[in-house]
Amino acid sequence: MGRIKENQSKKKTLLRDSKAYSDQAAAAVTSSDDGFDEPKEITAPKRKLPCGNSDAKKKKFKHPEANVKPPTLEEIKEIRDTRNLFHSNLFKLQVKEMLEELQLKPKYSNYIENWLETFTTAVHEFQDGLLDNCQLEVPLHLHKKLFNFQFLTPTAEPKLIGAAAIGTLLGPKLVVDVALEMPEKCFQKEDYRNLIFDQKRALYLATVASKLKELPACAADHFAYNYHANNPLKPVLELTPTGKIGKHLSLRLYITAPKAIFKLSRFVPWNNNVRPSFFGDKWDESETLPSTQHYNANVLFDLTLAENQKLLLSTFSGHRNFQEGLLLLKVWLRQRQLDVGFSGFSAHILAAYIVYLKQNRLLHQSSSSYQVARTVWNQLANSDWTQGITLCPQQPHQLSTLAGYYDVCFMDVTGYYNICANLPLSVYKAVCAEAKLAVELLNDVRVNSFSQIFMQASPLYTRMDNILKITNPATVDQLLELHVQPQVKYDYANYAHPQLLKLLTDLLQKGLGKRVHAILPLETASKSWTVDTKAPIIGRSLTLGLILDPEHAFEVLDKGPATNEDAEGAAEFRKFWGEKSNLRRFQDGSITEAVVWAAVTDAPSKKRLIVRQIVLHLLEQHLQLEQSDVHYIAGELDIIYSLTSSFKVAKLQTKLKLEQETDAEAVTPLVIHCYDALARQLHTLGDLPLDIVSISGISPVFRYCEPQPLLPQARLVADRMHAGHVLRVIIQLGPSGKWPNELGALRSLKTAFLIQIGKQLKEQQHLHTQLCKEGLLVLKQGYCFLLELAHTKEVALLKQQQTERGVTAYVDNAASREIERRHYILPRVSGALHALHQSHSTFGPTVLIAKRWLATQMIDDGLWPSIATELLVAHLFQQRQMPHTTVAPQTGFIRFLQLLAHSDWASELFLLNFNNSWTEQQITDLEHSYRSERDSYPALCLATAYDQQHAGRLWTTDDCPSKPVLGRVTLLARHALQLIESSLLSPSLGFVRPAQLFIASGEGYDLVIELKPDLLPNTLCYDLGSPFLPFSQRNFRLPLAGIDQLAKIVQQLRSAYSEYAAFFYNPHGGKELAIVWRPASEFAPKPFKVNELQACTPCSVGKVQVVRDTLVEDFKLLLKDFYLRICTPEQLKREQRSHNKPKRYFDDQSEPDVDKPQKKKKKKGTVTKPTDLKKRLKKSKSLSALC
Amino acid sequence: MVDLTEIEGYRVVPLRMTPDAKHCHSIYMREHFIRLMDPNKPKGRTLFLLNVPPYVTEASLQTFFKSKGKVESVLFAEKPGRDETEHWYEGLDVPFSNVEAPFKFKVAYVVFEKSTTIGRALVIESIDLFNSSGECLIKTGMELWHDNYVNKYILDAEKTQRQIDAYMAKYDKRERAALAAAKTSEADPDGWVTVGKDGRNAGFEQKESVVGRIERKMEKDKKTKELKNFYTFQIRESKMQNIVELRKKYEEDKQKIELLKKSRRFRPF
Repeated sequence: MGRIKENQSKKKTLLRDSKAYSDQAAAAVTSSDDGFDEPKEITAPKRKLPCGNSDAKKKKFKHPEANVKPPTLEEIKEIRDTRNLFHSNLFKLQVKEMLEELQLKPKYSNYIENWLETFTTAVHEFQDGLLDNCQLEVPLHLHKKLFNFQFLTPTAEPKLIGAAAIGTLLGPKLVVDVALEMPEKCFQKEDYRNLIFDQKRALYLATVASKLKELPACAADHFAYNYHANNPLKPVLELTPTGKIGKHLSLRLYITAPKAIFKLSRFVPWNNNVRPSFFGDKWDESETLPSTQHYNANVLFDLTLAENQKLLLSTFSGHRNFQEGLLLLKVWLRQRQLDVGFSGFSAHILAAYIVYLKQNRLLHQSSSSYQVARTVWNQLANSDWTQGITLCPQQPHQLSTLAGYYDVCFMDVTGYYNICANLPLSVYKAVCAEAKLAVELLNDVRVNSFSQIFMQASPLYTRMDNILKITNPATVDQLLELHVQPQVKYDYANYAHPQLLKLLTDLLQKGLGKRVHAILPLETASKSWTVDTKAPIIGRSLTLGLILDPEHAFEVLDKGPATNEDAEGAAEFRKFWGEKSNLRRFQDGSITEAVVWAAVTDAPSKKRLIVRQIVLHLLEQHLQLEQSDVHYIAGELDIIYSLTSSFKVAKLQTKLKLEQETDAEAVTPLVIHCYDALARQLHTLGDLPLDIVSISGISPVFRYCEPQPLLPQARLVADRMHAGHVLRVIIQLGPSGKWPNELGALRSLKTAFLIQIGKQLKEQQHLHTQLCKEGLLVLKQGYCFLLELAHTKEVALLKQQQTERGVTAYVDNAASREIERRHYILPRVSGALHALHQSHSTFGPTVLIAKRWLATQMIDDGLWPSIATELLVAHLFQQRQMPHTTVAPQTGFIRFLQLLAHSDWASELFLLNFNNSWTEQQITDLEHSYRSERDSYPALCLATAYDQQHAGRLWTTDDCPSKPVLGRVTLLARHALQLIESSLLSPSLGFVRPAQLFIASGEGYDLVIELKPDLLPNTLCYDLGSPFLPFSQRNFRLPLAGIDQLAKIVQQLRSAYSEYAAFFYNPHGGKELAIVWRPASEFAPKPFKVNELQACTPCSVGKVQVVRDTLVEDFKLLLKDFYLRICTPEQLKREQRSHNKPKRYFDDQSEPDVDKPQKKKKKKGTVTKPTDLKKRLKKSKSLSALC
Repeated sequence: MVDLTEIEGYRVVPLRMTPDAKHCHSIYMREHFIRLMDPNKPKGRTLFLLNVPPYVTEASLQTFFKSKGKVESVLFAEKPGRDETEHWYEGLDVPFSNVEAPFKFKVAYVVFEKSTTIGRALVIESIDLFNSSGECLIKTGMELWHDNYVNKYILDAEKTQRQIDAYMAKYDKRERAALAAAKTSEADPDGWVTVGKDGRNAGFEQKESVVGRIERKMEKDKKTKELKNFYTFQIRESKMQNIVELRKKYEEDKQKIELLKKSRRFRPF
């Protein structure tokens, strides 16, 4: 019976669905030849049928045909569309869902309508009057000349403009633009000149504001001024309604002017409308006045607004497809932050471009929203607006003439106003590059690009390799006074930002040439200010982002023209570069002027600072700026993986060339060199029964991912090998059929082989070797290698199982997977990552910073496999979310943090498709299986091209990283990003200090076990200190080779006590173990059960409980002779304070540390929590969530 | 005062690592008794201990219980139950594999030589894992680590070579015996003949892949004998199937979207 019901409901849903996506359910039913029954009305049996005769019916209903409804034409069309346009239903549905999410709620549209109505009636009741009764500040910063101004009642109705008018408002904070036209009579004939127009506008705005404020309907609203698009000549009134609606919506009032007040031809780009005398400058009468094209466009914006709006309305209103297409584009643009500020690529340009494309018949009336977006991207990608395009059917002036005055030229419907007047070429190019990337992503069938295009926020600063900040007011003044040409000043009506931008981009572009892809301004939107305060001066600072070209950016030499051929050019070159330029003779015999920035043999981290060097030199040479006047952000975090200065390289006895100022990246080639030499020696070994066919290193250092500098320190002390690191190497022997079929025998033979190799190495190559449980330790040139033998049979034997039928089956299990990973897959992945580093030399150092960061946050290998970090960073370098991969490790690290902070671990699968060896079908299958059986995959899912049969389960496991650890890492990453962002965008700071990022918070831990510092060697990395303890005596003694003591002990503790406590330590030289107890419920009395008795002590009749003190005794026992003391973090801190304030490495850092316990006490005493504690509290809360 | 030395038939005694230990683990013990007896844990002679801390070794327990009577063996398991002991010691006997017994709370079975010892063992006041001078019987911390490194991690090449030779000799013997058995192919008492890959009437290899290949081939053969696009109804059905699949895919995608919707993945900002 139940089945019948189910059947019925299935039919119904099918019916409903086909209705849902084809409006005409009864439409053209295709002929009966296609195997479908005609749709029949099915009467659902509502009562229970007697059981007896239902059996026959059941069978009939179960027949598959009965379930299938013939497809309608609409359905077929829909399916075809999906296949041809979107590649997949999923993308289409995702777009649909997003658009639904973006839909404006009716409550807002109703509110806007009502408001406009009230406003319109109110405006008509405004009385004419002189300005004297305006109480508010005028939102304009100009040294005003007094003139008469009388407020006149507006004659035209206020209108919605922009997004609100064409129905493309975009949340989360809706901004509704309303335009109010000043009456024609307000203006006199001469007003076009010397910014009088702008002053009148501002005065009018102030008057309207004050009158509005008196209205009872608006009195409660919040009144503020702001600048439209960071343009100080365009103040707007920002009204935020009271109540809940104000959180999501605000209204902006623009003042415009009718077109008729001036002749538009007055504002052609070559005319001057701001006289030099206005700024008190003298101008030679005989010369033509300098053109003020940007100011002219500024005025034209107001004059042509009405007409442009009319044009936009004609295209957009009533056409949902165009509106939605524009919405998609706006989302895309905003995620990239390219629409911000004075020089931004505003959504208005996009809207106008859609109209342009429609005019040119590239878009059709019936194009779908997706087609609109796609066409725009496609056209943008291949566009060139520098030659000029126009919306005007009869262009009054030649486009080529107009284009000469602007970087980018897009004329509006009147043919006078350049919509892109303020858009710098670099921003336009960046948008084009993004559009190109979007098209490529859409065309790539392998990836579902939806989230990359629409969902992932990628702030502009994460795309910059280097950032130059000029924020010092004195410096800015100096630049404006001495170096900006007066024409530029008139042109921008003395607005500082574009002047600085032009000055610096011109200079840097010339100096850096092909080293940079782009120099982009980083702007932040101006903040609003209340109506009774003075208008702020904005734009008196500049932040420039540099996107470098990896091929040329770090060339050590700038070569000028040859002196004997082009003397003039050479002289100019010398003048440009100043004293840095020297006459040099090159190997090819040419003698030219050249500038040398670094030696070819310099460390890569040093070479990465070449651009910094050049920029600072140019600033000094041409603009007389000192290094301290500006912030140049590049390579601040390099110090993280450099060698600590307290280790003296000079004391090392080695033949290798080493400098004191070296880092992990710079020593890696030495290690690899040494490894290559060993590999050669192994290959030449004679007298082995089988040949060595392959040798591969699998330690992170062989793929440039070892964050600790590996120095050639390993040595023999009293017949024991001492080494800080062992480098693992896998050896494979030639094939032979004689290997035994038993695991024990196979391993015995393998060991025998290793003994042989050891003997031969000693005899033939005079290397020290030592057999150990894991393999053969070999000492060479101060490095300690651990050779392991791999054999395919071992994996097979581990997998072997007998099924019930007595058939031998090979089933993956933990042990076999581990061996296969280490012996076969890791070498290949290692090779692929090595190759990745060769093509993107930033990969390695990015991993180094990322690994160091995780380590200092007390996330060790047992919580988060370090290979996962490597693969995630590799994923960043492979995925094409941005047009350029970064060449700055620091930026790579920021992107890594962003990945950690914003990834949805539950739904995202990280696939590293090296060499594209996964086919499209395989990827789809994997994704399908991933989605449908999510629970069978680990929390963080990584797959590479070489582990297809283990896809997703090889690199991470269910408990490493576990969900709580993932959550914690996400939280830590968000916090770190916040720190970075706030310092990058702040006017006074440069980059965040490494100590802020790389010392974890010591809050939230219950117990700290301090280990004996003399038993644990310090890391060779630059050490920033521990969250718990001050710096102690350094200990660079080498440990015995092979076993990492601390890691081993923590592993034991975790395996035995993870149900009661979580353990944390810093694997890079940390000397304390931090412990967090699981929630109190774990320690509550519970009934006696034989299987749940671990660590329990009886507490009352029939009940047992876990006692923390007993566990602490266990810890003490296990760590015997190894720990110094066990105490709580509070005790430690108290002790430190009483210790007469011991000297901290970073003095300013120690102060907040001291404050912490006091705050904590306050928290305990009072119920209310201080707000500034919020962040920290959140942090410690998540820590307890780990349990 | 509640008597805490007995709970659900178990005797509770503290496990003392030093004479002056204050916070001790409690060991729950009783005579081992289950219906299906394991020959390694004989009835009447086996003492069953619950909640043995991870660091306790077989040897230390043996040393302690020796004072009560002769001990035959001490066995560990993760939890009580069949095959748990085998599971605990699995892989430990394979030479040169880095398998270690789990480091966890466990249960122990102490087998005495005489059944009388059990009574004496059950009345003890505490399990003391230290010798008369108060020294702990179990090595832990640095001492254990160093001991492990010197004696277990680092191997002496010559000694190891001798071990290997001995092991391989035994292995060869076993192999030869097995080979000989396969070649004779005589019926065993039940009338079964072992068929190996070698020998007169060798069968195919009993591997899953081989069996699977053969089965697949048989299925494929069956399929090729069938005509698929012959009758009108077949064509019609395949068309229909196509539509049904497309619809199914659509439905699946829709469900995916529903799932994604729940996690709010459609709000760009």
